[in-house]
Amino acid sequence: MARVLVLGYGNPLRSDDGLGWRVAVELFRANASPDVLVLPCHQLTPDLAETASLVETVIFVDCSHKGEPGKILCEEVRSQSGPASFTHDLSPAALLALAAELFGVCPRAYMFTICGECFDPGESFSPSVSSCIPGLKAMIRRQIEDALLDTVGRQKLVS
Amino acid sequence: MQSAVSKSIVIDPVTRIEGHGKITLQLDANGRVEDARFHVTQFRGFEKFCEGRPFSEMPALMARICGICPVSHLIASAKACDALLAVRIPPTADKLRRIFGLAQVVQSHALSFFYLSSPDLLLGMDADPAKANLFGVLEKKPELARDGIHLRQFGQQIIERLGGKRIHPSWVVPGGVSEPLTELNRDAILAGIPEALAIAERTLGWFKSIMENFREEIGSFGNFPSLFLGIVKKDGGLTFYDGGIRIVNSAGEVVANGLDPADYPEYIGEKVESWSYLKSPYYEPSGYPQGIYRVGPLARLNVADRCGTPRADQELAEFHELQRTAVLSSFHYHHARLVEILYCVERLEQLLTDPEILSKHVRAVAGPNSLEGVGCCEAPRGTLFHHYKIDEQGLIRWANLLIATGHNNLAMNRGILQVAKHFVHGERMTPGMLNRVEALIRTYDPCLSCSTHAFGEMPLVIQLFNASGDMVDEVRRPC
Repeated sequence: MARVLVLGYGNPLRSDDGLGWRVAVELFRANASPDVLVLPCHQLTPDLAETASLVETVIFVDCSHKGEPGKILCEEVRSQSGPASFTHDLSPAALLALAAELFGVCPRAYMFTICGECFDPGESFSPSVSSCIPGLKAMIRRQIEDALLDTVGRQKLVS
Repeated sequence: MQSAVSKSIVIDPVTRIEGHGKITLQLDANGRVEDARFHVTQFRGFEKFCEGRPFSEMPALMARICGICPVSHLIASAKACDALLAVRIPPTADKLRRIFGLAQVVQSHALSFFYLSSPDLLLGMDADPAKANLFGVLEKKPELARDGIHLRQFGQQIIERLGGKRIHPSWVVPGGVSEPLTELNRDAILAGIPEALAIAERTLGWFKSIMENFREEIGSFGNFPSLFLGIVKKDGGLTFYDGGIRIVNSAGEVVANGLDPADYPEYIGEKVESWSYLKSPYYEPSGYPQGIYRVGPLARLNVADRCGTPRADQELAEFHELQRTAVLSSFHYHHARLVEILYCVERLEQLLTDPEILSKHVRAVAGPNSLEGVGCCEAPRGTLFHHYKIDEQGLIRWANLLIATGHNNLAMNRGILQVAKHFVHGERMTPGMLNRVEALIRTYDPCLSCSTHAFGEMPLVIQLFNASGDMVDEVRRPC
């Protein structure tokens, strides 16, 4: 059973928007640890809630459209119920809320983003995003290592 | 904005559907709804930009039409390509494609019922729009939300196990499938069947127990005579993969049977209206618009004599008891969707325990032997046609797609008019009125991205117009 889940999401056909998906694909190919589950996906869907509830730490990877292009950010994510017009895609906070409310477990979660500058149809990244990808992957790997060293494990919520 | 004579309401966007659209309601001088239109306002053009591409690329290319039902497009496209190759695919490939398609129906129906429509059914049509979502369901009946998530995951995981990924898999290819099923994957899928079956049974039981609460909606949600169209097996059984086209009328009488899907231009006309990019197909012998027909779960159960699996057959018999004629109310799409989920899970088990299912012979290889091919299957939302013409080099020269949501276009428009006439009064829309108009559309589970090939998002609005053509009210919700 994996302890860390990496969810990289985005549209690989929309230039920088595909960052999370592409990084997840590369981490998936390089990953040999049974403790780490890496899933590239187009968007966060409610059916990922159960998977998220089974691990201690979730690492989200996405491209942001706000901020300085090429800037890497890492922040902790807290669970929060979804938007009113919710249909079938979720924010990371809403996915955690679903995991907590449906399956009684809310894992720790971190969000890694790079601010993109081009979201037009295309399969390549803008230079500012492309140049940051190695650094982003190194940061994610460190976060995974830290999570695996953490013996306290998941934060149990009362269901 | 106000006019002395006539009024108009706009609903934009229509929420909890796949894609976006706009509704306009025309009021008469007395403030009563006189006309209604469902507009789909953007265009994608898959039929045009595939021209010049090698036909072998078509399944993977066409799967990009939709992120919800790529598998249906893969299957219809691959079947059209099989016709271009003029091959009969290996029996195991045939069965594996069926499994793929059934998994697709389960996950798509689960999304439609649990994620998009269950808030209306559980919380009521007058519920606070801010609560009418899966989180609202979670609060009131968490087991329903959990079941929905689990069932969709069950379908998605089958697609992932067979196709390598959940969205836009390219495992279905001209001539068969690219890889055989492994024993490991078969056993993993089979292990999930009992729980999926239990969820399907439980949800059907719950739905039937609350149907009485929706008498008014059953009576007014697209409850009108129309034809119903779907594929059936030679014995009249329910199928999602292949068979002949059967059409029944509102009395439940068979109007046409055993029609070859490849001959669809002979019996399906395609009308284009200036106010929508969504085509309006109709049954050609009845003319336009009298040839209005419905497809999808309600139609499939109306045209099928039997399911061919034990529990679904019992449920189908009960479904047919809802009305002595064909079951007419579009509200019953929900019921039909649940019966189909039950059928799919039972049928998955039958196919996965077939002794041939692990055979390694899963692809027939050939070059193009025909310059024209039609592929047809039942997508979750209804009958799907892909029709291609190629040149001697195997390049696509012409393509036509007939998508489930398009088949239902005339019926959705008529249904919106009926529900608006029943529930909308005066110049202002209450949230309950608005939601009932939207909920009618949700019964069809339309996929506008599929059916218009639109690029990007299509916000949908309800607009209220008066008899002078002035817009007097407009409702927009955040996407």
